[in-house]
Amino acid sequence: MASIIILGILVGIGLFAVTVYNRIVTLENRVGNAWSQIDVQLKRRNDLVPNLVETVKGYAAHEQGVFEEVAKSRQAMMNAGSVAESAQAANMMNGALGRLFAIAESYPQLKASENFKVLQEELSGIENKIAYARQFYNDSVLQFNNAIETVPGVLLAGPMNKKEQVFLEIPEVERSAPQVSFSS
Amino acid sequence: MQSRAKQAPDVITDVITGKRINLLDWKAANVRASIMLSLLMIALLVIIAYLLAQVTYPEYSLLFVGGAIIIAATQNMTAYWFGDQIALRGAAAQPANKDQHRYLINVTEAVAIGAGIPTPKIYVIDADAPNAFATGRNPEHSSIAVTTGLLALLDRQELEGVIAHELAHIKHFDVLLSSMLAATLGAILLLRDVAFRARYYGGVPRRRGRQGEGGGNAQAIMMLLLVVLLVLAPLMATLLKLAVSRKREFLADAAGAYITRNPEGLARALQKLRDYSGAPLKVSEGVEHMFFTSPKQRLNAANLFATHPPIEDRINRLQRM
Repeated sequence: MASIIILGILVGIGLFAVTVYNRIVTLENRVGNAWSQIDVQLKRRNDLVPNLVETVKGYAAHEQGVFEEVAKSRQAMMNAGSVAESAQAANMMNGALGRLFAIAESYPQLKASENFKVLQEELSGIENKIAYARQFYNDSVLQFNNAIETVPGVLLAGPMNKKEQVFLEIPEVERSAPQVSFSS
Repeated sequence: MQSRAKQAPDVITDVITGKRINLLDWKAANVRASIMLSLLMIALLVIIAYLLAQVTYPEYSLLFVGGAIIIAATQNMTAYWFGDQIALRGAAAQPANKDQHRYLINVTEAVAIGAGIPTPKIYVIDADAPNAFATGRNPEHSSIAVTTGLLALLDRQELEGVIAHELAHIKHFDVLLSSMLAATLGAILLLRDVAFRARYYGGVPRRRGRQGEGGGNAQAIMMLLLVVLLVLAPLMATLLKLAVSRKREFLADAAGAYITRNPEGLARALQKLRDYSGAPLKVSEGVEHMFFTSPKQRLNAANLFATHPPIEDRINRLQRM
């Protein structure tokens, strides 16, 4: 009788451990998925940039400094390997694009061009998606970290070799940038 | 930003009732409630069908009960599989097109990423009254529809708020719960109509007239029980459906504010919708509860029969978040 009870308790603990294990894995996968959401949008933005630069060049050919800055950040984006590098390059790109659009403000013909308008809406749409994707990434990281730092997850985190993940830091200025400079 | 991200709560404290709402458990609660309601509905229908058979044709009890179960199952399955199609067609919603509604599509895709669900199918309703609704049994099979009036009236942040509110309904399976509730109500009303019609044609007294002494008493009790059930059940089901609907609107507002991290956007959208004074949206009966704000203005006021909480209350809660 006693052995049956002990067996029951052991099976119960085992099932519980499986649930906790699965939850940690699920949450970790969600963090990975959240990152790829950001990555997809960053790549889409990178693909749009040459198009945008060409359009702006047609009206403001002598603003070489900005074009170079954009090209440099685009290159950095493409070379980025890790999450941290990618995030840094993305921040650089945000700044460069912000300046590009600031310049566009002083070229009324450029601003009026249909091509530019479409690119602008597409780009501010992507900026917005990046902001949301980052937020979702941070939400996912928060959930994952909570899961592995609190009981019962903390008991399994060690044996599973799970480490706390890092939040993406988003400079306040850049987060609000699309809403200020891109709104049409 | 880092500290802000760390504070992002899974649990929202309702500023007015002080209750804590877990944004993660809400979906589980809805799925549980949907299953419970389906079972409850089947039990209720079986009882009603059985009583109905007893006072009319007791020898066909099995047929009555079987029929009731088939009706219930059909109603539920129709709601589950085709509810979204019916709702979209009923509202004359057209699929959004990439050139014309690029802005709406971009906003919806962005908010869906923030909510962590796949982008729903996007529809546009050609109407001046600003409103929106979401439908679909789960996030993988979901649609949202907004009116052209809403697109014209709101700025980007406000539109994001409304879309986030609708995506919250989708994410947490509110649509499943409310369509199950609607199906319950539909089945009960159908049975009531059948029962009263049967009585009207005089089936009851004629069949039971020559029955002996002992049976008469039990017969009367069953008759009474049946009438009570038939009168009370639709009323109870209606009130339950409405109470659930109002609660879910508050929850979706809270979750919408959480997804956008911007309660003011949603609050401003609600203010604009409150102040809209043009022609109301024409919708078919029984779908008011699906919309962002009730198409019937009086149903946005404090009222036991309202599908939505008063707009003022909703704005208040958002502003105090």
